[in-house]
Amino acid sequence: MSDAPVLSVSGLTAGYNGVPAIRDLSLEVRAGEVVALLGPNGAGKTTSLLAMVGLVPLLGGEVRVLGAPLGRRRPHQLARNGVLLVPDDRGLFPSLSIREHMRLAARRRDARHEQEVLERFPALLDLGSRHAGLLSGGEQQMLAIAKALLARPKVLIVDEMSLGLAPKIVQDLLPMIGRLARADGIGVVLVEQHIELALQVADRGVVVNHGRAVLAEDAAALLADRDLVEEAYFGTGRFAEPLGETA
Amino acid sequence: MGTVLQFVVLGLGLGAVYIGLGSGLLLVHRATGMINFAQGAIATWGAYVFAELRNTGTLVFPIGSVDLGEPPSTATAHVIALGFAVHYLAFRPVQQNSVLAQVVVSVALLITIQALVVLRFGPNKIDVESFVPGGTVTLFGAAIPTRELFIALVMIVLAALVWCYMRFTRMGIATRAASENERAAVLMGFSPSWLAAIAQAGAAFVGTVSVILASSLTGLNADWFGLLVVPALAVLLVAKLESIPVLVVAAIGLGAFQSLIGLLVTQPWWPVWAQSGLDQVIPFAVVMVILFVTGKRLPTRGATQQIRLPDVPIPRMRPLVAIGLLVAAGLALAFTTGTIRFGLTTSLILSLLALSYVVLTGYLGQISLAQSAFAGAAGFVLSKASVDWGIPFPISMVLCALLATALGMLVALPAFRIRGAQLAIVTLAAGLGIERFIFNNYSLSPPEGNPIADASLFGLNLAVREGRDLSRLAFSLMVLVIVAVVIWVFVRVASGDMGRAFLAVRANERAAESSGINVRRTKVIGFALSAFVAGIAGCLIGFSRGQLSAESFTVMAGLQLLAVAYLGGITTIGGSLVAGLIGPLGISYVLMRTWLDLGEYYELVLGLALVLTAILNPVGIAGAVRHQVEFVRRKLRRPSASPPVDGAPRRTEEASHV
Repeated sequence: MSDAPVLSVSGLTAGYNGVPAIRDLSLEVRAGEVVALLGPNGAGKTTSLLAMVGLVPLLGGEVRVLGAPLGRRRPHQLARNGVLLVPDDRGLFPSLSIREHMRLAARRRDARHEQEVLERFPALLDLGSRHAGLLSGGEQQMLAIAKALLARPKVLIVDEMSLGLAPKIVQDLLPMIGRLARADGIGVVLVEQHIELALQVADRGVVVNHGRAVLAEDAAALLADRDLVEEAYFGTGRFAEPLGETA
Repeated sequence: MGTVLQFVVLGLGLGAVYIGLGSGLLLVHRATGMINFAQGAIATWGAYVFAELRNTGTLVFPIGSVDLGEPPSTATAHVIALGFAVHYLAFRPVQQNSVLAQVVVSVALLITIQALVVLRFGPNKIDVESFVPGGTVTLFGAAIPTRELFIALVMIVLAALVWCYMRFTRMGIATRAASENERAAVLMGFSPSWLAAIAQAGAAFVGTVSVILASSLTGLNADWFGLLVVPALAVLLVAKLESIPVLVVAAIGLGAFQSLIGLLVTQPWWPVWAQSGLDQVIPFAVVMVILFVTGKRLPTRGATQQIRLPDVPIPRMRPLVAIGLLVAAGLALAFTTGTIRFGLTTSLILSLLALSYVVLTGYLGQISLAQSAFAGAAGFVLSKASVDWGIPFPISMVLCALLATALGMLVALPAFRIRGAQLAIVTLAAGLGIERFIFNNYSLSPPEGNPIADASLFGLNLAVREGRDLSRLAFSLMVLVIVAVVIWVFVRVASGDMGRAFLAVRANERAAESSGINVRRTKVIGFALSAFVAGIAGCLIGFSRGQLSAESFTVMAGLQLLAVAYLGGITTIGGSLVAGLIGPLGISYVLMRTWLDLGEYYELVLGLALVLTAILNPVGIAGAVRHQVEFVRRKLRRPSASPPVDGAPRRTEEASHV
């Protein structure tokens, strides 16, 4: 595995109507590495991800993807270059069948690769003609990831995969993402609410709160120090915000 | 039996056009979520260019033309280019705008292209030599024309190709995918804009082929083919904007049905008054029934982001401004004569019509394309009321406006269940139905015109003409007073609870309902108010002409009015005044014609200006002026508020840009 990061974010500031929702976020992801982006609701996680793929304009900072700055590339061009975001709504098309999703995902048809991907998600194998809208939540999430893998990603960004899923399914899916990243050399950014599970899978963790990155550590270190993560999460203890400028 | 079959087959020609336009509309709607009201006009333009190319070997562009010497073997490229141009120049810029801006852009395109056709190819019908072999086969003892059968077959094959594209090709599947979740399609590496451009080109091609084929039966006529988009839209709604097979069946059914009605009305027992225009009333009826049955199940596109509607400033009573404007208008009327004064008077009346759009579209957010039908209905009844029934002036006008109000409330019914572009379709169909069934119906409105008795009040003669004076001051002042009263009432309503209720419904119907606003009642009131204002305007148009003909109130005239209302600023009174000034036959038109001799370019200029307004400046001319005024005011205020430090003025300028 090379040491050059496939995704590097420095000083990322992004938001809506000129108001930043995330300020000064920096992280690096190397091939085969999983970075977990953690934080409470409204911390700015999803905005960060959208900014990484160009769906939300940058207000400041830089995003470099596969060694080149994001620049003027449009989101769909990034996707073609191998930067794939699985959004929190799963990005599926309810009235399209699984087979049609597969067809859309692969730029060139490659039956062998398709078979390989599907074998990782045996639940999908027999459902080829079923509409995505009729799948269960777990099946939908598998389809979302399977179609991202079909596009041969170099960077895979997954937003709140566990949303609306039973804990049992999350316990299966998350470690699978970690294995995939290492096996295929994909750089993965995970946004998760299941902190412990995410940190078990990830190499490093970044905690964001109130639109700022407050903590970035090795996943193992974070797992070991639960109090630290908790304080970062709730903005207490070492992470308490000063009350006003005189405080 | 034989005759019936013959007429059914004759209707296939019409059905073929519906298939062509309808499948194009469906494709574009799938790819962009927009309804393209200009689909018929685009196809007509394509067919004209094709006919000219075939007849003379000249390739005609909107500006300029190329003489290719001899007719080329194929002429597909220009239609594809047309589709791309339509997408990149008109549709793509408003992709993220409000539905209103999208409807307005396609209406503007319709006006522009219709005007271009007349400018470039002349107003007359062109006969098109058929390259489909004629002939008949005998079936059940009747001679069945084979040409219609062939044309229908070609269009069915093309529609099947469109279906295959959406079903089996990667691009087509992506188009369907993007219509469900545009962001997800982007994240999979598809450019929705490119998909839409392809759809637009395909739609232009299919539509053009259908018009080329059908025009070999009837000859090519811009108005007729351009407005065939209305029944095609009806067919599209029957197909729930999704299913090509249903669309094909419905298109053929409607074409055959309309043809059969042509047979039916020649029967001796058929009432004379219902002979004309019935074929247009039926699409409307079809649309109404379909929408009532399936209204809520029509698909809407998942929006990728919150769409901002144009700003609405709450109007305030400003006596000084009002008096100033009144005096200025009075002076302008007093110191002009003849055509200029008449143009000013017409502008005043037009601003009332525009105001009816401000009420309905600007405040209530409902898109109606039937306003000119409301105005026309009032005007036509005024003719009967003032001449046949002898009802005196102010009462007759109010009565007729109330009739228009009733009509408006009727059209409000579908608005209970549908909104946005689909409501625009229904109101357009209603407007066309009223135009063809009532205004163009010789037994209801005689072709020699509908005379309207001159108004007089307490012995004061308010006639528009007397002797050689073609535009009397008394009439103009009467119009001014009526306009002022209506605007005053509007300000009262708009600034009160009702105005806020309108705005709430416009912003979010569910939220309005949950905060105690009766949405349906509000909509009915909005439609009623707007139709009443339109009715008054219709009566005034009647008085000013002395007699009415159908031309004053065609659907196209109504679309032009929507255009100027939007151009002026659809959310403000100032906008409606501006709209009056630039409206058709208003003062700007008169000046353009008499000074610049550019009257024939009026519609083209209007259409293009509208496309630009919808894209660049949704608040219209009045809104832009208001922004400028506020900007200047801020600039004047800021420097005096802060101490004059070096560089301070520059900073304020930057700040006020934000």
